[in-house]
Amino acid sequence: MRSRFWILVAGVVVAGVLVGFFVTRFLNPTPPQIAATTTSTTLQGRPVVSFNLTTVAAVGTAGQGNGEHPNWVGYLPTTFLKVPAGAVVHMTIDQQDGQTGLRNEYLGLVRGTVNNQMTLNGKVMSALDPSLAAHTFTIPDLGVSVPLEGVASNAPANAQEVIEFDFVVPDTPGLFRWQCFVPCAAGTLYGNGGPMQTLGYMAGELQVG
Amino acid sequence: MRNRATAIRIVVIVWIVAAVAGDVALALGPIPPGQASDLASSESLVILLLAEIAWPVFSAVLAALFFTLVVNRLAPPTAEVSAEALRGNTRAQTTWIVATLVIVLSLAVYGTVALAIDQPGAGISTVSASLPQPASADQPLEVQVIAQQWWFTYRYPSYGGIETAQLVLPVNQKIQFHITSLDVTHSFWFYALGVKADAVSLNDNVVTATPTQTGTYRIQCSELCGLWHGNMADNTAMVVSSSAFATWIQQQTTLDAPIMKFLAPYSHTYEPSAQLIYGS
Repeated sequence: MRSRFWILVAGVVVAGVLVGFFVTRFLNPTPPQIAATTTSTTLQGRPVVSFNLTTVAAVGTAGQGNGEHPNWVGYLPTTFLKVPAGAVVHMTIDQQDGQTGLRNEYLGLVRGTVNNQMTLNGKVMSALDPSLAAHTFTIPDLGVSVPLEGVASNAPANAQEVIEFDFVVPDTPGLFRWQCFVPCAAGTLYGNGGPMQTLGYMAGELQVG
Repeated sequence: MRNRATAIRIVVIVWIVAAVAGDVALALGPIPPGQASDLASSESLVILLLAEIAWPVFSAVLAALFFTLVVNRLAPPTAEVSAEALRGNTRAQTTWIVATLVIVLSLAVYGTVALAIDQPGAGISTVSASLPQPASADQPLEVQVIAQQWWFTYRYPSYGGIETAQLVLPVNQKIQFHITSLDVTHSFWFYALGVKADAVSLNDNVVTATPTQTGTYRIQCSELCGLWHGNMADNTAMVVSSSAFATWIQQQTTLDAPIMKFLAPYSHTYEPSAQLIYGS
């Protein structure tokens, strides 16, 4: 009888640890946060820091979850970014995914970046044809939104579009969510499931300060 | 018996004082959602009316409870006694039923009349073409609210159909919100204006309100809608003077210029493309 009691206690403890592990893992995203690379340049009197992200149609074993969803679309290496307060962020995105199209054409407009512009393969642009978009890099609370052109279906293998833009982050520390606004989760209802709803794929956080 | 009668008088006096004091405090205090629009004022009035009626009833229940538990309780019997038959008090029951009927029916009539006057009111889901459109100089400014996981954007059909990420409204101008969604169900909640209506894909939900106070207000989604539902909010919605609104519209028109040729023609709902429905 006594041994049964201890087996029960052990079972409860093991179950508790497993639940705790699951909850902790759920609350703490596994991909590491990356800090922006500092540069020696300044823009508008502010220090310029940089990121280089890549968008891929399938993350494989990289990124969030260590291969948990290899077929999900995502940003690499991570969607958890850290920048110093008051900096100008120079973002370079190697866009390797195909064209899906924006659900809301308005998000084809480049907003919140320096001069409300981006460069696409070196060409300065203020807007993108919404039907050509693969993803967006959007930080709603900062008013930053940049459409990312998708690779054309007839492009050669390993083709990519390189998008660059600069935006200024606030002088005070804060945590800002960012996300893609193209419903790009293939195979889910209206393209809004899976990677669109999971941190580390098409959504992340920008920590300022 | 005499002590009991005195206790009843005291409890009644305390109840009257508490009821009057509470109603006065309610009348003097701020009542949500405030007075920032005609709709909000109307809602505040209804809440005040309900509270003014409910408080005396609630305090009467408390007074009766106090009287029953403290004053009217019997000492424990010293010997076993037979239970007495309970008989109803016709006067008390009649008073209670009539008072309840009067209060509830009065509120029902008041609510029905208020709803009829407010047409189209908060969140009436309808096909806009069938709505009665005012023909007077008081014609409302149409503003479309487009919800998408997880951001609200706004279109102004009277100004070339421009779309913005910030909501700015002119003060003392009747606004006809047309609320829709591009994906799941959201809810557009402009608390200060008393506007709260579901944003449903392929539906046009219409709400009319006239902002009466300039200021900066908060908007948020009040329908659980996914990962960033808690962040689907904006603290920068503004009600401004008509001249400031005109300036802002001009600025937005300039900002929107590069995207205007790509925007879908203004419509009360937006069908997703087949490509988006079936995934890429």
